[in-house]
Amino acid sequence: MEVDLIQIKNLKTYFFQGKGLLSKLFGQGLRIVHAVDGMSLTINKGRTFGLVGESGCGKSTLGNTIFRLVEPLEGEILFQGRDVVKMDQKELRKFRQKAQIIFQDQFGCMNPRMTAGQIIAEPLMMRQGKQESQKEIEKEVAELLNAVNLDPDAAVKFPNEFSGGQARRIGVARAIALNPVFIMADEPTSGLDISTAATILNLMQDLQEKMDITYLWVSHNLNQVRYMSDDMAVMYLGKAVEMGLTSEVFDKMAHPYTKALISAVPQVSPGEQKQTIFLKGEIPSPINPPSGCRFRTRCPQVFKRCEQEEPPLTDLGGGHFCACHLHNSH
Amino acid sequence: MSEPLLEVSQLTLDYNLGSRKMRALDRVSFSLDKGQVLGVAGESGCGKSTLGLAIIRLLPKVAEIRRGEIVFDGRDLLKLSEAQMDREIRGQKIAMIFQNPQNALNPVFKIETQMIDILRVQDKYQNPGNRKRRQDFRQQAIERLKGTGIADPAVRVSNYPFEFSGGMKQRVMIGMALSSGTSLLLADEATTALDVTIEAQINRLITELAAEYGTSILYITHNLGVLSEMADRIMIMYAGRIFEMGWTKSVLGSPRHPYSTALLESLPGRQTRGKRLLSIPGFVPPLDRLPGGCSFHPRCPFAEEVCRQEVPPLIEVDKGHWSACLFDQKRGRQKWKWI
Repeated sequence: MEVDLIQIKNLKTYFFQGKGLLSKLFGQGLRIVHAVDGMSLTINKGRTFGLVGESGCGKSTLGNTIFRLVEPLEGEILFQGRDVVKMDQKELRKFRQKAQIIFQDQFGCMNPRMTAGQIIAEPLMMRQGKQESQKEIEKEVAELLNAVNLDPDAAVKFPNEFSGGQARRIGVARAIALNPVFIMADEPTSGLDISTAATILNLMQDLQEKMDITYLWVSHNLNQVRYMSDDMAVMYLGKAVEMGLTSEVFDKMAHPYTKALISAVPQVSPGEQKQTIFLKGEIPSPINPPSGCRFRTRCPQVFKRCEQEEPPLTDLGGGHFCACHLHNSH
Repeated sequence: MSEPLLEVSQLTLDYNLGSRKMRALDRVSFSLDKGQVLGVAGESGCGKSTLGLAIIRLLPKVAEIRRGEIVFDGRDLLKLSEAQMDREIRGQKIAMIFQNPQNALNPVFKIETQMIDILRVQDKYQNPGNRKRRQDFRQQAIERLKGTGIADPAVRVSNYPFEFSGGMKQRVMIGMALSSGTSLLLADEATTALDVTIEAQINRLITELAAEYGTSILYITHNLGVLSEMADRIMIMYAGRIFEMGWTKSVLGSPRHPYSTALLESLPGRQTRGKRLLSIPGFVPPLDRLPGGCSFHPRCPFAEEVCRQEVPPLIEVDKGHWSACLFDQKRGRQKWKWI
């Protein structure tokens, strides 16, 4: 039986813009960015949950909220049964040992004045309850470098001496240093060449198998999410429009947005004629999301009800959810 | 019979960085027919961007063309003066769009100001002596924006770049670059920074406009999927050399070079969950320390002694399909699997 590792219930993260003096004096200009607007999902242990959507759909904010790098407005984030939102600093510290992030910008998240060895050793030294000698830590760093297929000499090099793929491996080594049970990978192969990206994907699959890690795989690359994830959710303007087993979502895609998104992915399929669904315009601003269904302004199958009523996320059977009036007979 | 618009032959280019000499292009030869889309693919550092910049002659000062010709419309571009390039070629017959439209637009000027500048220069050389007023150019700018599918062009033309999204900025760039006089468009990773739905829109726009104006395209990208859908022919580059070239269907459907095969097999395209992706061992060699013989041999599982000694020539292995691999040339046609 699979166990829920993370359960998110009705999570909302808003950003408030224009909280300056002028808007306070005149009570105007306060703009609310509905970054994550009522997301509920369950991530099962040992599996990979793919989160896809275009830029600005709130997928990174959702990830950051799980780690409380951003405070949610409301909702629950249950991690092994405990609500992350209600954790105090001490508990949060413990939680963040078990849950780690691999960031998108592999160079931006490393101090350029620290060597790779120091960067990887940092979480080890922050670990509580255990005092270790320098020697032991060095040994652990060497093991971690080995686990991500880097030379032991890498420990004394600085970030600028590494290629993009190597720097990404250091990010992975740091993330697995404390034996986490959960890792969020935010666009883990962006900016990497094809064959380097393949190496990182292989590495992360190996680590998952070896260390029984659960991944939240945040990406706009649908091919990759299809390949890497077991379950997935498609986000649009802060909400999930479709969710379920990855194979189900790809084989029986129901939401017009999912269909358009998947059809737009360029595939290497020489000689095959693919029918791309072209969406009108671009993703609207999350400051004033459209009424009713948020996708209605770009939807090729829009009808009257979409404007008036917001479609709920309904089960199409077998845990395949979709939020669209076309699939909601009530 | 289609006639070639661009013929590059034996183009060899070095970057001279102090004592280090990097060979960025090594005897690159290909041709591009009128109205055709040629895709250039390869990993970073393979020379694909350098090739684009060499054609439009926007190379940095450290670059030195050692030999070769770039014959465009019957003339060798390398023999033209800077003034001739400006007057007749750059922004006139050959246009280029880049990955980052942000950096190509000046943030402190309105879109109309920047577009009128370009239109004025284009007009100055196309219709010398014929003076147009600013209003006429502004109208022309609005027409161009309209042509790229920007809603409300008459209003948007007086916006600043920050008021446009990434996809719309790229539309503006296309509107500036492409006119009826453009015979060659160089697109260097033009949609890499965009979301897939926007990428599809922009690529369709490029294709449609090019078809309308009869423009040929040299489409530089690392995304083989995009090329599979857009390009008539594909050229795979590695470390400054062309490794494989041919019709899209044959290069992607039955690649002959081990490197092309490897690239295709390392894509997580329709690969099933759990199946390992192919990852090429080693890394792309730095250009100042290229291995002798075939530059791919240290990473190639099929490499033999001869691959370390001889530079494989690019030869026609099938009708219209060229490949530079000694192993393939010796063994003849076969489909190999990477281990």
